[in-house]
Amino acid sequence: MSRKVFDRTIAFLRQLDQARSVGDVCRQLLQVTRPFGAEYVLAGTLPLPGSTRQQQLSHVLLAQWPPEWTQRYFAHGYIFRDPAIRRVTSSTMPFLWAELEPTYRDSPAAWRVMKEASDFRLKNGFTVPLVTLEGDIAGFSLAGERLEVSPSERAMLTLLATYALGRTILLRETLSRPQVSLSPREREALQWAAEGKSEWEIGEHMGISEHGVDKHMRSARLKLGTTSRTHAVAEAIRQGLIN
Amino acid sequence: MLHIVTPENQHLFRNEMEQAYRLRHRVFVDEMKWADLAKSDGREIDQFDNEHVVHMLYVNDGTVLGYQRMLPSTQPHLLSEVLPQLCEDERPVGPHIWEWTRYCVEPAHRERGRALSPVANALLSGIVEWGLDSGISTIIIEMNPLWLLRLVQLHFRTVPLGLPQKIGDQDVLAVTASFDRRTLVRLQEMRGNSQRMLADPASPARRLVG
Repeated sequence: MSRKVFDRTIAFLRQLDQARSVGDVCRQLLQVTRPFGAEYVLAGTLPLPGSTRQQQLSHVLLAQWPPEWTQRYFAHGYIFRDPAIRRVTSSTMPFLWAELEPTYRDSPAAWRVMKEASDFRLKNGFTVPLVTLEGDIAGFSLAGERLEVSPSERAMLTLLATYALGRTILLRETLSRPQVSLSPREREALQWAAEGKSEWEIGEHMGISEHGVDKHMRSARLKLGTTSRTHAVAEAIRQGLIN
Repeated sequence: MLHIVTPENQHLFRNEMEQAYRLRHRVFVDEMKWADLAKSDGREIDQFDNEHVVHMLYVNDGTVLGYQRMLPSTQPHLLSEVLPQLCEDERPVGPHIWEWTRYCVEPAHRERGRALSPVANALLSGIVEWGLDSGISTIIIEMNPLWLLRLVQLHFRTVPLGLPQKIGDQDVLAVTASFDRRTLVRLQEMRGNSQRMLADPASPARRLVG
């Protein structure tokens, strides 16, 4: 049983590698989770208490969630009364929303959030608490009218959530940067520089003069917005432009 | 400063290795309650601390603050001998694949909040520097699944070897994590400098055969 589930996980990860936008990630994810009943996804880092609606929304990283519910939820600051969010801050174990019921049975405010969610087709959900590299707590929720998952499927969803969030964060970083495009010669010169070659050696390799090398390096530095050769190399590596 | 200690140079690091074995015991036996690792003399040493082992010690002013151990995939290691159930398919094996084990940091030098502490960054950077120096590109890790997002964000290309499973009362996931210079640049970015973390000058791996 877990063998097949594992194979599906690997297949999803291969697909995820091809995702070029956050929308792609969303689509691919829901395609895999829909058979379990999860038609909706919402993932983001947790805002601080007292954050405005705008600030709360800025924490959302991945979303395909009923829009009227989203509006209502953030306008009323429901995030601060949501028992699922409370659980995310207190435990790192993934959980089904059904498992939360005993914890909020006596809290009318929490009860109301969950009840209203179910009015918007978010009757059952699964949330994975995560922590980003920067140390921010994030919640990744999948939900729908029904949700049926075996233990190994829960493990799979936990992995899918983690990778989907990771890919989303990386994509947002790439897409928020101005796209630098180096000419083949600029890239070649920088690649040699990355290997520690001097300007003279680079010139030998590329069949041009040191002056020619300097020209390519200067324009590469300009494009990358850096002032030194070392910095240019690091930035080019960071952006995946050279190895 | 990060030092690489192997059976060849261990005699130069006797004091530091003593500290390392005791740090391992404090973290894995006392703190994490892995009772089967317990040793009556308080030094956590097991069958993999043999002629193939590579220890990495983060030392500050003579005190060992962080530690990790690398084991070659081509010799018996944790995944092959102790936790094979975490791997669904054939285990990854090759001279360019090593297993990362016993990663631990002195409690006082761990994360403030939940971001990567300087010692943690140094240890991770050390693996990547060591790997880039010696042609090792991939590490096998058995870890808490919570580490996965961090690794992905650091540009480690991670592939699960199986689904996460409960071992004792902890969830454990086995992955391979491949890295390159982009990973190192990301780690350097996080700590705000591009200093080399390894103490040894870059030298070709002489012991990494088989």
